[in-house]
Amino acid sequence: MIEKSTKAARGTVQCENTNINLLKANDFVAGIIKKEMAKTGTLLINITSSAGSGKTTLMQKTAQKLKDKITMAVMVGDLETERDADRIRETGIQALQIVTGGICHLEAQMIHQVLDQFDLENIDLLFIENVGNLVCPSSFDLGEDYRVTLMATTEGDDKPKKYPKMFLTSDMMLVSKADLLPYVPFSVEAVTKDAREVNHELEVIQVSALSDEGIDTWCDWLLEKIQLKKNH
Amino acid sequence: MHETSIVNSIMRTLEQEFEAEKLNKMKAIHLKVGILSNIEPRLLYNAYSAYHLTYPRYQHVELHVESTSLKIQCDVCDHITDVKQYRFICEKCERPSKNVIQGEEMLIHKVEFED
Repeated sequence: MIEKSTKAARGTVQCENTNINLLKANDFVAGIIKKEMAKTGTLLINITSSAGSGKTTLMQKTAQKLKDKITMAVMVGDLETERDADRIRETGIQALQIVTGGICHLEAQMIHQVLDQFDLENIDLLFIENVGNLVCPSSFDLGEDYRVTLMATTEGDDKPKKYPKMFLTSDMMLVSKADLLPYVPFSVEAVTKDAREVNHELEVIQVSALSDEGIDTWCDWLLEKIQLKKNH
Repeated sequence: MHETSIVNSIMRTLEQEFEAEKLNKMKAIHLKVGILSNIEPRLLYNAYSAYHLTYPRYQHVELHVESTSLKIQCDVCDHITDVKQYRFICEKCERPSKNVIQGEEMLIHKVEFED
């Protein structure tokens, strides 16, 4: 008979292989948000970009174009102030400001705790306008159906390779401020090539909220996704 | 500031995962973070030191962070490519791939406890 002892020696170190995701708590809440949205058939879109690439202006334009066709609402994250929500409210839609108080991204918990401010039964499209930052927001799932990243022509066309995670996790890249293309050294072709080397499934639309270029294509894309979500 | 919320998230997760008695015996935390995770190990160590100023309970617990490189596995030919310069393209058959098998992780890989 082979005798064996499986007792760990006293005073030694015990290990547990855990492999727990660091963002487990966030992803758990994101799952809850997804379920809530599925119940009401509300399309949830997470809009990300650098600061100053035109997210709020795009929200205003989208609201003007779509407010007679669907009901949309926006929650907007910023470190301070309620300026962005005020701008969006001017178009006549509901907007809620989430003040992060210095945090550089939105987390699922911040979204979940304000969801009851919205009458989701009667909202077709809910935008989350994330904090302007191409780094941290890429890691936090907010339970969105699609992630849309704005890339302004004034930012330079080298961003996708500098911030690959954001472009890898996005479904759509909107090349914004397209009306400035004649004046800035920015190649839509180069930025698209770089972005698709990171994520070959990425859709790309060139838009200008000021000249209206591409806005109909963008709105049609939204209407199609709203319909898809409702039929689901 | 991003690293600070990551550290908070780690400690919260561990407190949910293990009982208080066990946490008192915690000796070391091992993390595995991919190059795509946007976590900078150096900043994480700093954030972890700062965490102890507010919550001294775990100040004797060591933190180890291992960085992992970026690898994709081709959906078609199964070949594993080390991704360089963020070109997510199979080096063998030249097809694009989003199938990241290493480099995205943000894991509490291992926890050591004093017996």
